Amino acid sequence: MNNQVDANHKHVQHVEPYSPQSGTMIAGGFQKFLRTCVLFQFYRLLAINVKMMKVILKSH
Amino acid sequence: MARLVILGAGVAGHTAASFAEKWLGKEHEVVVVTPNAKWNWIPSNIWVGVGEMSKEEVTFDLAPVYAKTNITYKQAKAISINPDGSDKLNKPFVTVEFTGQGKEGTSEEVEYDYLLNATGPKLNFGATPGLGEGSQMGEHTVSVCTADHAVHASHELDACIEKMKAGERQKFLIGTGHGMCTCQGAAFEYIFNIEHKLKERGVRDMADMTWISNESFLGDFGMGGLHFKMGGFITSSKVFAESLYAERNIKWIIGAHTNKVEKGKITYESLDGSIDTQDFDFAMLIPPFAGVGLKAYAKDGSDITDTLFAANGMMKVDADYTPKPFAEWEPTDWPKTLQSPAYDNIFAAGIAFAPPHPISKPMKSPNGTPITPTPPRTGMPAAMMGKAVAASITDMMKGKTTEPTHHSSMADMGAACVASAGKGLLTGTAAAMTVYPVVPNYKKYPGTGRDLDYTFGEIGLAGHWIKHILHHLFIWKAKLKPGWTLIPE
Repeated sequence: MNNQVDANHKHVQHVEPYSPQSGTMIAGGFQKFLRTCVLFQFYRLLAINVKMMKVILKSH
Repeated sequence: MARLVILGAGVAGHTAASFAEKWLGKEHEVVVVTPNAKWNWIPSNIWVGVGEMSKEEVTFDLAPVYAKTNITYKQAKAISINPDGSDKLNKPFVTVEFTGQGKEGTSEEVEYDYLLNATGPKLNFGATPGLGEGSQMGEHTVSVCTADHAVHASHELDACIEKMKAGERQKFLIGTGHGMCTCQGAAFEYIFNIEHKLKERGVRDMADMTWISNESFLGDFGMGGLHFKMGGFITSSKVFAESLYAERNIKWIIGAHTNKVEKGKITYESLDGSIDTQDFDFAMLIPPFAGVGLKAYAKDGSDITDTLFAANGMMKVDADYTPKPFAEWEPTDWPKTLQSPAYDNIFAAGIAFAPPHPISKPMKSPNGTPITPTPPRTGMPAAMMGKAVAASITDMMKGKTTEPTHHSSMADMGAACVASAGKGLLTGTAAAMTVYPVVPNYKKYPGTGRDLDYTFGEIGLAGHWIKHILHHLFIWKAKLKPGWTLIPE
């Protein structure tokens, strides 16, 4: 893999043109950062738990 | 005193037994029959399969747990049901063959007043030539369906990693091993956990990873996919799934029926009728599920298996089994009470009950080969069914009613699922999803079949934390430790 690729293309450099992979959306750097950003994910932990409890309560 | 016999101590059976014993007290008897000595928190087998957990962390001995209750535990496999007794026994009974407790190989006829079939599936490896024989896994592929399988898989994975470290490229093939499989979610978790592990070990660039499944689109998960609101759009799980596979450089083959497995190669048929092969160095292919093969006999000894069981070996319940095309499927086709239509005192829950039809739209190749995911029965629905059936049976045993009092239809309940995409306290991720209802209702929720206010999905570290917390919570609950009833199914 080419380590000199610019930031815009870093996350898609493995995609082959006209492959099924090229027809979808791929997370970029900031999106990936948010996935493991502890502060943001702690907020998401609370939000997801609320969503899950709503479904659990509705189902019981 | 009446007796409830529960076949199986998985999520549905153990949940049913635990609640039934609590509600019935010493007044009535609860008997659990299972061939297993240990309980297994199956969702965490994935982590055993990549060496992130040990077998001991996902299993525990059942005997000590049942010993602190009034539950009678028989480590045995159920062979047959005599719902009207026999010429020797007037009461209905189950014939079991012991697999432990010092009575291996011996048979017993266990009488019952009420019977709950919660055996779970037969892992039907034998359905695909080369995948295995009967319920035994073959030698060409690995599995994460049981804790022992997962331990073996982790060792094979380690061997591949060593080869990659030595400079040898390896091909990974993960997915479903037959056109009628379910459990795509488990395979999804495994492929992404492997990918995460390979990155951790610094060998990801030496791996070619391919997904193969019977789904007609990525993200089907055996339930026709789902839609949720994301960034102002109503997005299909197809987009979500393809995005993740593309991001992690995993190629995909979908609409595939694996029809043969050999050393280093599978042969599969696609929905367009073409036949192709795919090479591999490491393959995990989920087997199709079937019923465990229980037989049923009338009082005169004649075989009445067809009366109680569908052709796939799963037990018929109060579902609408009328064959009908996809366009005519209704949520009301799905069972509510899980009671056998033939015998009022027999129920089935979890994977053991026969669904009326798939949830995903049925597909066939031009050769007539069905290539359709079968319906998943994940942990939350299985546990809810077990609890509801236990509540109905308890009311019936106490004489409050002659009819089931509790309903548990997959068309009226939701599910919360967490699909791991890699383990790590600060580096792991998981896709946290809820879906309501499990069985889509396109009339009530046009376009998506689900309530968009209760259906969502997102991937991140929070999902991983939730999966790890749930691992500990549900094992605590299953061990019947203090406060276990406070943990919802």
